[in-house]
Amino acid sequence: MRLSLSSGPHIRAKSDTRLTMLDVLIALLPTTAAGIYFFGTRAALLLAVSVASCVLFEALWCALGHRKSTVGDLSAAVTGLLLGLNLPSSAPWWLPVIGAAFAILVIKQLFGGLGANFLNPALAARAALLSSWPAHMTTFLLPQRTLFVNTAAVADAATAATPLTAKSSSYLDLFLGNIPGCIGEVCKAALILGLLYLLVRKVIGWQIPVVMVATVALLSWALGEDPLQAVLSGGLLLGAIFMATDYVTSPMLAVGECIYAFGCGVILVLIRKFGNYPEGCSYAILIMNIITPLIDKYCKRKVYGEVKKNA
Amino acid sequence: MPKDENKPSLRGVFLNGILNENPTFRLVLGTCPTIAVTTSAINGLGMGLAATFVLIGSNMVISALRKVIPDKVRIPCFVLVICTFVTIVQMLLHAFVPTLYASLGLFIPLIVVNCIILARAEAFASKNGVVASAVDGLGMGLGFTLAMVLMGCVRELFGNGTVFGLTVFGGAFEPMLLFVLAPGGFIVFGLLLGIINAISDKIAARKAAEGGTKA
Amino acid sequence: MKKYTFKGGIHPLHDRHEGKTPTADKPVRKFVSDTVCIPMDMHLGAPSKPCVKKGDHVLMGQLIGEPVGGLGVPVHASVSGTVLEVARRQNTGAGLSECVTIQNDFKDEWVELKGLGNVETAPADQIIPAIAAAGICGMGGACFPTAAKLRIPEGQSIDTILVNGAECETFLTADHRLMLETPMRVVDGLRAAMRATGVKRGVICIEENKMDAVATIKKAAGGREGVSVAVMKTKYPEGGEKQLIKAITGREVPSGGLPMHAHVVVLNAATCAAIADAVIDGKPLVERITTVTGCVREPANLSLRIGTIFMDAIGECGGYSEPAGKIFTGGSMCGICVPDDTVPVSKGNNGIVVLNEKEATPPETTACIRCGRCVRACPMGLNPYRLLNLCEAGDKAQAEKEHLLDCIFCGSCSYVCPARRWMTAAFKNAKDEIMAARRAKK
Repeated sequence: MRLSLSSGPHIRAKSDTRLTMLDVLIALLPTTAAGIYFFGTRAALLLAVSVASCVLFEALWCALGHRKSTVGDLSAAVTGLLLGLNLPSSAPWWLPVIGAAFAILVIKQLFGGLGANFLNPALAARAALLSSWPAHMTTFLLPQRTLFVNTAAVADAATAATPLTAKSSSYLDLFLGNIPGCIGEVCKAALILGLLYLLVRKVIGWQIPVVMVATVALLSWALGEDPLQAVLSGGLLLGAIFMATDYVTSPMLAVGECIYAFGCGVILVLIRKFGNYPEGCSYAILIMNIITPLIDKYCKRKVYGEVKKNA
Repeated sequence: MPKDENKPSLRGVFLNGILNENPTFRLVLGTCPTIAVTTSAINGLGMGLAATFVLIGSNMVISALRKVIPDKVRIPCFVLVICTFVTIVQMLLHAFVPTLYASLGLFIPLIVVNCIILARAEAFASKNGVVASAVDGLGMGLGFTLAMVLMGCVRELFGNGTVFGLTVFGGAFEPMLLFVLAPGGFIVFGLLLGIINAISDKIAARKAAEGGTKA
Repeated sequence: MKKYTFKGGIHPLHDRHEGKTPTADKPVRKFVSDTVCIPMDMHLGAPSKPCVKKGDHVLMGQLIGEPVGGLGVPVHASVSGTVLEVARRQNTGAGLSECVTIQNDFKDEWVELKGLGNVETAPADQIIPAIAAAGICGMGGACFPTAAKLRIPEGQSIDTILVNGAECETFLTADHRLMLETPMRVVDGLRAAMRATGVKRGVICIEENKMDAVATIKKAAGGREGVSVAVMKTKYPEGGEKQLIKAITGREVPSGGLPMHAHVVVLNAATCAAIADAVIDGKPLVERITTVTGCVREPANLSLRIGTIFMDAIGECGGYSEPAGKIFTGGSMCGICVPDDTVPVSKGNNGIVVLNEKEATPPETTACIRCGRCVRACPMGLNPYRLLNLCEAGDKAQAEKEHLLDCIFCGSCSYVCPARRWMTAAFKNAKDEIMAARRAKK
């Protein structure tokens, strides 16, 4: 009889890294579908290129380093999909490829691979693309709602202003996504559906999305803006639900998460109100990503039996 | 201070500055101008040569004065000497290459506080003879210039599609502006450091292996 | 109804490991095997010294191992019959230990027993000696000598005795069945311990997934002085000593201290039942209820004689249903693996769990994704992911500073880890090394 010997526990929770990533992918499905509905096959192509190149770069890195491939944990696919959803539908096809290389090779793998990256790879790649090709990254198309967007229409519809700069859209349009914007950020209904899925599956807690959105709403209101408009426009919901909640770059405990999300919200509003960029969601989250280790250092649980002596 | 008994050869001193102790990639000194001014190869070259000139001059003068300078106030004395040469360089550049002078801007006067120059004054010139110090200044200066040009080439190539102003990629190429922005400077510097470390590790490993077989 | 609980912890029973269902409704069945092999080191403390030799005829309850040292515990024959062998054998612990093997004559002839009678009238100063003579040690798994636990040293005071009937571990239903079938023994044992220590408050703590046991115990405890029943949330490790104390009394055992430093003594439900037998009838601890489950044909709760070989107990449950990949004693969170099925049941074995080969295959470890689940799960408020990094980097001094020694090895962090990292195992090794270094210093 050959029995294996190990220390406990002899059972493990069902949820592993792969399943967690799969849950995130599933939660992103509604907004992906909405993006493709509004922006046609062009958006689908960009998303496919983005996911495929992220996965390829990950596989390439593992192969070059003679490591076991980590493609199976689906983290590269999540990065790829998030990166694609952060692009405007007018972006050229090579934009996601370079973004993927930057996200996977520079931000993720050079810093030690999954779990060791100090920035959210998809957001860092978006920031790099935005500073490198500002024109490509800020040319938003009006939703076409046709499967095949012809190139002429692309040229004509170019430089539609996002609702952050031109406040004309109705709340309903803002909520349903009938507005120009990045592929994944327009349809707030789909994003909230994804949030509900993540909450039900206990992949994320409510703290980061709720606190971040509440901070933005309150601060915008205090600065004399329309809080509902502030919440429904731009990339806030996509960022608060899917980007700021990235495990690797967000604090571990609820208290820390609240501080982090509050910081994200404040920086976001400050950039929107006083900065040069119309939207500051990605930069707000990136800045708080960097502060995360500090937050984790100071927000610790009280150790049992540490201070209290029962005299 | 007593003279070094086993004085290194001048050739050794010269190569040391370029390879083994390359100020930028091995000693990681003077990173401020390395990241700030290498947005193009020509800027890197200009900065490198200006620093080389200052290095040679200050090394020689400090070496010559090393027995006169009181130990307690040596740093202010070094800075004074360096300032003199920096002022000369600044005026020369202003007079003869105004465009380069304009693009290097504040970083020319900032050569005064460049770690490499002060470090060589402290670590080498104040302990060695005039000729050796001059050669050390030349080696270190050229090492720094090489690093600056390398950084400049990479950043200019990707960030602007050119090297030394010559177009490398075709017209369809859309340069990645990030490379000529500050974050690009950090990323390129980090990548080059990593690559050079990897290469020197390989060389060291091969040398160790060869030494092992010989022994 | 107030439900008591602590901060942190996990829910393995809510997840998918409802290992308790096959045995929760099965009444305890007695099983006596041909031979028993009784180890001398079933308790914490120095191993007992065998006082019988090969060929001796022994009666049930006869002393066969004399206690050694301050934490020594006597060992008694669990069957009547002939001593076959006194030799070193593989035990459930890590190595070999002295064991007395007895051939059962199935007569169950007891030695002469002298009980103290009713626990309410027995002389209080004779209760602890009776417990010591009966060889009782903690039956929840830790095996700390019970008499030593109840002898409160000068300068310490306790005001509460908690009976741990939480049984938060997966698979195990032994205590559940015990409380259902013989609730009076548990209550009597608690009363005996309360009278022996002069404590006025005794609380029997049961998780809310055992409301039937709550009802029977409440009925049995009706009208008994100072005894109450507390319902706890179903959560692991609710039955951890420190967590139990925090949940019920709100006090914390100081770091590095014992429950008595929080003025509490915690007894396992099965230990209480053994105390009742020892005090009322003078019976030594020769029998205990063990859950035999997992990949066996008919999972059951067996009342086993101490020293029953695992193979015999598993055979009584219909044998293996699949090739066994791993066998451990206790639940699946803290259970200790045994090298084969020839090891004997000891006083602390509340379960024998068999896993098949697939379940026994260790999961593949991947990179930490900083999800923080371990930090939220740790019932001691530690930072498991950080401690593991420190252990892997070999920085034991820093790990110690960050409270590594407060780890109770409950396994919650490893259980929830999506990267399947082996935190608990690493902490155990690190603690062993630190303790060994400390001993070497002395």
